[in-house]
Amino acid sequence: MILMMAWRNIWRNKSRSMIIIFSIMLGLFAGLFVVAIYKGMLRSKVRSVIDREVGHLQIHQSKFKEDYLAEYVLPESTALVDITQLPEVKLTTQRSITNGMLSTATGSAGVTILGIVPNEERAISQLAEKIIEGDYFTEKIRNPVMVGRKLARKMKLKIKSKLVLTFTDSTNSIVSAAFRVMAIYESENTPLDERNVYVFRDDLNKLLGIGSSVHEMVVLLNRDEDLDRVTKEIQGMVPSLQVDTWKNLSPETELMVDTTNEYSYIILVIIMLALAFGIINTMLMAILERTRELGMLVALGMNKVRLFFLILWETVFLTMVGCPFGLLFSWLWINYLNRNGVDFSRFGEDMMSSFGFTNVIYPEFPYDNVIVIFLIVVITAILSSLFPALKALKLQPVEALRK
Amino acid sequence: MMKNDTVIDAHNISKIYNPETIPVFAVNDVHLHLNRGEFTALVGPSGSGKTTLLNLIGGLDRPDTGNILINNIDITKLSANKLITFRLNHIGFVFQSFNLIPVLTARENVEMIMHLQKSQRMDRDTRIKQLFEEVQLSDKIDSRPSQLSGGQQQRVAVARALASKPQFVLADEPTANLDSKSASNLLDIMAKLNTEEHITFLFSTHDQRVIDRARRVITLVDGKIVSDTLPTSTA
Ligand SMILES: Nc1ncnc2c1ncn2[C@@H]1O[C@H](COP(=O)(O)OP(=O)(O)OP(=O)(O)O)[C@@H](O)[C@H]1O
Ligand SMILES: [Mg+2]
Repeated sequence: MILMMAWRNIWRNKSRSMIIIFSIMLGLFAGLFVVAIYKGMLRSKVRSVIDREVGHLQIHQSKFKEDYLAEYVLPESTALVDITQLPEVKLTTQRSITNGMLSTATGSAGVTILGIVPNEERAISQLAEKIIEGDYFTEKIRNPVMVGRKLARKMKLKIKSKLVLTFTDSTNSIVSAAFRVMAIYESENTPLDERNVYVFRDDLNKLLGIGSSVHEMVVLLNRDEDLDRVTKEIQGMVPSLQVDTWKNLSPETELMVDTTNEYSYIILVIIMLALAFGIINTMLMAILERTRELGMLVALGMNKVRLFFLILWETVFLTMVGCPFGLLFSWLWINYLNRNGVDFSRFGEDMMSSFGFTNVIYPEFPYDNVIVIFLIVVITAILSSLFPALKALKLQPVEALRK
Repeated sequence: MMKNDTVIDAHNISKIYNPETIPVFAVNDVHLHLNRGEFTALVGPSGSGKTTLLNLIGGLDRPDTGNILINNIDITKLSANKLITFRLNHIGFVFQSFNLIPVLTARENVEMIMHLQKSQRMDRDTRIKQLFEEVQLSDKIDSRPSQLSGGQQQRVAVARALASKPQFVLADEPTANLDSKSASNLLDIMAKLNTEEHITFLFSTHDQRVIDRARRVITLVDGKIVSDTLPTSTA
């Protein structure tokens, strides 16, 4: 009977009930949307880190990362060949790498020079796709180099501009050589664009004097889920070498993945405070409007517990109406956006890419957080109705009836 | 049923508003004794304390002095929660207007009281039917209050007041918002319930025609009983 009264009460003032239902829908949507955007950002970040930057894992000489010395090449070993044959492995490539200086007539900049095999690199890091000007490695010009857009702008480099790369070779003597810009690229990671330049591995190896040796082997797997297992396996195959996963190689991405939930829950708390405020206000109004009626119920013998639940049930019902609609609405919209993407570039060209994100985010409906977010919304709604319900308990029947 | 056994026995009850500033003795040292089966009117000019007195007897308000015994239970000593349950089980109320819960039908308004009392569902239906017959509204049993006239609403309120099988029914100006035809119809029903079912009524009124129907008339002026015509006949 109390339930029936509560249920009918919510339809008395339709617009007020709609406000609460709508706030609950909106709260639920906002909560899910924030997490969905976060998930989409992370997914694309992780994807771009794996597919376009570092691969799933990399193998180096254990001392190489300390000072990038040319002599720390990977040993000739059949194990490295065996790795390429593992069933979980999709692609591999080997790079030679050194740190050095890029200079032109106008100035100089510190760079990391990556000697690559263009065909393998195209597949493993989509390097060709990142070109905004010029052509991917061709034999037509001698010593071609590919530079990032930011570096090109800073050093006033154009296609066919000449530049000099200087670095130390394997015998610790300084070498320099002239290169010609053949392509300018732009990736999602602007800081890297300013640092990494790409040349033919053969060109670099000749200058470094390391023959056909390399410093880095990049491995791309077929499935992300195999990462931990395959890493262990590979480490077992090359015990003396250093095997790093993308998580170690891009610790900021790993950190982001780990802290997403915390960040989205902070935003969630703010959204919930707004929701709570709305519900408290509206329910207080609902009670104020019915003072006389509630007073009469107390006069007739409705005890405080029942009165309390009468008010509470109203919010529970509103929540029960609002939540399914909110869920459906969020699911539809987030999935729509997931297909079409949300373009953040209109908020500023570099806003997302300067943090290493793509401009277009594909929000992902957070299936594994949906229960938690749902519960948070429901609990917020019910907690906020406690205050108006407690207020109703203070009602004195004589005063209420006088109104 | 026994005649002349006491239902209400109130001694020295007073209610003083604004005791610090300008004290208003809304009810001033009143003694009131009501027997089972009475049909009593409480009259007096506006502001004489009728509502206040009825509220005190009904346990809606607490007196500043005195004791109120209902069925030999001193309701001034009951805790707030006990008092609510006491009202539910022992006292029927009919208010001046807006008596009914608008979202419930006439039947549900009556049934709600039985629900609060946790009475058996089986017994409810027959009793509700009987009550609606008594207030002559069987045909309106499933109407919402908004679909009923003022007089019909008051009759539903009477049915509701009786739903809990109370010791007595308190009605504060039950006819004040009714036209004379509806008012006399309501009085007919109350009088019939009184004579046939021995329901005890205590009601306040301004209306001389209503006063004429009462068998005992208590007159209140400035919170004091100035006259009390005892029952002329017994039912
Ligand atoms: N809450 C209150 N605060 C202060 N004074 C009050 C309060 N309630 C009632 N009074 C005063 O108590 C006195 C008695 O009021 P009460 O409502 O009992 O009179 P009444 O006989 O029912 O009048 P009416 O016929 O107009 O309904 C009046 O003087 C009134 O102003
Ligand atoms: Mg009055």
